Amino acid sequence: MPILTITLFLPLLGALVVLFLPREDADRIRRVTLGFALATFVASLLILPRFEYGRREIQLIEQAAWIPAVGIQYKVGVDGLSLVLVLLTTLLTVLSVLYSFREHHRVKEYNLLFLLLETGMLGVFFALDFFLFYVFWELTLVPMYFLIGIWGGPRREYAAIKFFLYTLVGSLAMLLGILLLYFHLPAGQRTFDVLEILRQRPLAGTGLLAQLAFWGFFLSFAIKVPMWPFHTWLPDAHVEAPTAGSVILAAILLKLGTYGFVRFSLPLFPEVFHQHALLVAGLAVVGVIYGALVAMAQTDLKKLVAYSSVNHMGYVMLAVAAAAYAYGRPELADAAATALNGATMEMLAHGIITGALFLVVGVIYDDRTHTRGVEDFGGLWAVLPKYGAVSITAMFASLGLPGLMGFVAEFLIFVGSFSIIPVFTALAALGVVITAAFFLWTIQRIFLGPTNPRWAHLPDLDRREMWTLVPLVVLMVVFGVYPKPLLDIINLTSSQLVAMLR
Amino acid sequence: MPLDWAYVAVFALVGAGMAALPLGLVWLLAPRSHYPQKRVAYESGIIPFGEAWSQFHVRYYLFGLAFLLFDIEVIYIYPWAVVLRELGAFAFVEMLIFLGVLGVGLAYAWKKGALEWV
Amino acid sequence: MNWADLRWLVPELVLSAAAVLLLVADLFTPAERKRWLGWFAVASVVPAAASAVILLGDLQALRSPGVRIFSDTYTLDAFAVYFKLVALGAVALVSLVSLEYFPGRTPHLGEVFALLLFAGVGLLLMASASDLILLLLSIEFVSLSSYLLAGFLKRDPKSNEAGVKYFLYGAATTGVMAYGFSLLYGLTGSTSLYDIGPRLGQAGPAVYLAVGMALAGFGFKVSMVPFHQWTPDVYEGAPTPITAFLSVGPKAAGFAALVRTLSVGIPLEQVNWPLLLAALSALTMTVGNLLALVQRNLKRMLAYSSIAHAGYVLMALAAWRSPWALQGLLYYLLAYLFMNLGAFFVAMVAADATGSDEIPDHAGLSQRAPWVAAAMAVFMLSLTGIPPTAGFFGKFYLFAAAVDAGLLWLAALAVANSVVSLYYYVGVLRALYLMPPATPGPLPVPAGLRAGLLVALVGTLAAGLYPQPVVLFVETARRLLTG
Repeated sequence: MPILTITLFLPLLGALVVLFLPREDADRIRRVTLGFALATFVASLLILPRFEYGRREIQLIEQAAWIPAVGIQYKVGVDGLSLVLVLLTTLLTVLSVLYSFREHHRVKEYNLLFLLLETGMLGVFFALDFFLFYVFWELTLVPMYFLIGIWGGPRREYAAIKFFLYTLVGSLAMLLGILLLYFHLPAGQRTFDVLEILRQRPLAGTGLLAQLAFWGFFLSFAIKVPMWPFHTWLPDAHVEAPTAGSVILAAILLKLGTYGFVRFSLPLFPEVFHQHALLVAGLAVVGVIYGALVAMAQTDLKKLVAYSSVNHMGYVMLAVAAAAYAYGRPELADAAATALNGATMEMLAHGIITGALFLVVGVIYDDRTHTRGVEDFGGLWAVLPKYGAVSITAMFASLGLPGLMGFVAEFLIFVGSFSIIPVFTALAALGVVITAAFFLWTIQRIFLGPTNPRWAHLPDLDRREMWTLVPLVVLMVVFGVYPKPLLDIINLTSSQLVAMLR
Repeated sequence: MPLDWAYVAVFALVGAGMAALPLGLVWLLAPRSHYPQKRVAYESGIIPFGEAWSQFHVRYYLFGLAFLLFDIEVIYIYPWAVVLRELGAFAFVEMLIFLGVLGVGLAYAWKKGALEWV
Repeated sequence: MNWADLRWLVPELVLSAAAVLLLVADLFTPAERKRWLGWFAVASVVPAAASAVILLGDLQALRSPGVRIFSDTYTLDAFAVYFKLVALGAVALVSLVSLEYFPGRTPHLGEVFALLLFAGVGLLLMASASDLILLLLSIEFVSLSSYLLAGFLKRDPKSNEAGVKYFLYGAATTGVMAYGFSLLYGLTGSTSLYDIGPRLGQAGPAVYLAVGMALAGFGFKVSMVPFHQWTPDVYEGAPTPITAFLSVGPKAAGFAALVRTLSVGIPLEQVNWPLLLAALSALTMTVGNLLALVQRNLKRMLAYSSIAHAGYVLMALAAWRSPWALQGLLYYLLAYLFMNLGAFFVAMVAADATGSDEIPDHAGLSQRAPWVAAAMAVFMLSLTGIPPTAGFFGKFYLFAAAVDAGLLWLAALAVANSVVSLYYYVGVLRALYLMPPATPGPLPVPAGLRAGLLVALVGTLAAGLYPQPVVLFVETARRLLTG
């Protein structure tokens, strides 16, 4: 059974089904969408028993001819890195769809776009052909543009087009990089097969061209991550996007960038990346500290979470840069593997935690108070005990409290990176302090202190909201206490990568 | 390379000279006399009347175009007639098609009323 | 000259006969039945296209890269057949939507279809012309029909303006091109492209002058900067189906003629025309895109966009040394046929509903005609080059050609231009999807338009999702043209 292909195209099939449902029947549209999202989640879980946990290479490959005349094929597969990100995607899509049951405006288009978006994201993680990868990479842009543009906040049009333009600049630069790789394969054997190109590294030793291709890929991924100074689209997009859109944007779309760095930039251009590793690490550190400081200054909760994303993605990039810097130094291989494990773990942790944080903001803003100014609240825990518990857990996880998932990730990143680039790592650790400070301060301003009488009679989390939030909190705790099963899978890819980079 | 441009220059100069020379010769050699009738438009000997800027009926152009078309057509038929024997049936059929298409044009003009002078 | 050669002309003959027949039939058709003439025009494309395909089969049976007939003035090869099919597709689709557009706007319905078919004959000839004289004649044939069509609505001042502007500009550039051709003849003593190439000898200024002047004529047809100025006014003023036709038919045929002239007639060892065209390509795409940014009128925007797309296609000629170049050009023009026709068809629907071509007036179309808006979304994204559409694969092809030929700077410029173009294409989607409708209520879409839209939509998506058959075809065509 081609389980990857089924997982990949189930949401698309769902989108087609929704396309032919009458738009008036909003309820059925929601249920069908949820059904397909759940089915996709189940399908992605079915990958687990088929996955060989002893194999470090990409496995479960499914392929078919597509455009053989120019060496393009349909080829998908998974390894440890993509497997965990796929599971994250399918889970968060289910939760986002469930959360979006409250959306009453243009329900049909909304759900259709969500399913389309899911296929796009899954395709990026599955694709083993550069052309296919690019198609899915771009496919994620269009639904997100509409999700922000139609269902977003007051400045939605500006935010949507900004998001679209920024990311398109990067993608097209990457397309040129891909073409450079392709045309440097020997004539007659030209292919867009990722594994083949990774094996041959056609641009190795070409000097300027390798540099250009590296920066092409870099631009694309760095904008997506987003690294400082390419992050300016992110606060706009996050603030204006509808809650579920923010969740997907933060939890999955940003990971496409870091995934790209780990999957392509590192093994394709190890020499070039090594040359520029310190620059990248520098940008990552700036992102960490800048993100934390700016988040601290925010009074808008959503903006605060958005800038905390810049901060957290900075950690991931720090670890990736460390791994790149360790290229060619076998004595640092173990540290590099640890850093990469931390990076992947942080991708997951950030996906789960920040997804939860955006849901937390949405819960209070969308239906209850229609405000998200940090100063407008106070003493909310007393009024909303369940909501308070969930929110505070998520914030603690985000600031890296031991016993929760964020800590594991950050710990691994710092341990791994410190042996490779100690100064940058030490500077980045400063960011942790600031992060802790602003989250604690936020908790204090919102949940503690005297109760704001305006909110004295707010209802607590209802059942559907519990269903969307509790799974995430459970995951934060479970993997915070016992990350081993996850790390075992992740480590397969990290050790494989490090072996390639030795 | 400069030689090529020299050709172009010579070509341009000779071309301009061909136009200028006869005009210049006339200006130099021809006897001149001025009297009022010389300034009158030439109308084949008839004394002109009315304004030269008078409006023409739009049908005049339709007639003009139709006339021109059938006038020019004859130009093709002359050389065709000369080589008809050599080319044989092919040329004959070809001319029939040519005339047929023109016939369609005439029929079109006729039916659309382009040949009626109202 | 013999009778048997005529069989290679069957597509042209079929279409000519249909056009003449239509003109005669029009004389005896009462006004209320004139729509049948349109259906006749659409139907007559079918045997023409079928015969073109059969001729391709004959070529393959002969194992011949192409036949040259009438003293090498006319060449039939896979390249020509490809362009003939594109041109016939344009004629058929435009005739189909004209059936909905022209009734009520003009009583002279028959002439519209007759002129479309005549223009089609010209396009077929342009694709095959391998002699300067036939080339000039076929271009003029297309042009004359197009002038009339552009100015067809004589009670509409904008249409009049379009017709006159198109005519004056076309006449001037054709004159310049004819001069260029005469220089080529003077230099080589032949009008056949096959003779001109070998006889051209060492390139001097006269050769460059001749090529430059010839480019004026082709540039006019394909809207290349600096011969593009007519485009926005004519596109805006001409009846919308005719604008759609001009943007794909004559443009594609212009490229066909340009490619054949340069690749066969002007050896690139002697004249470095790829470099010249690289500069023109860069200029064309940049000018087109920057001017498109500020347009509010949909038809004007599409006019500048069509200039920009001419720039992208010219990249193929700049990157001529790459085998991907010609393939990219061929593929792109097919993709462009579908997506651009589609965009104009939606413009017709929207203009019918709102009585305006201004983009903001199309606000909320997604609520009133969801399928039409969705189709427009596909066309706009395809024009931008977002996968999985035909436009993306076309751009992918052209970028690949540029990278392969080492023209990274041109590819990078095209990337920058694509990003710029996203802004104005998405501007249309913004109106359609993000803005609320001014008047609610579903919008009726006439059957002919619906059919045309469907073909354009399916074409755009199918060619994008599964380009393999087209890729194989264009590869064959490329090998046959350039060896």
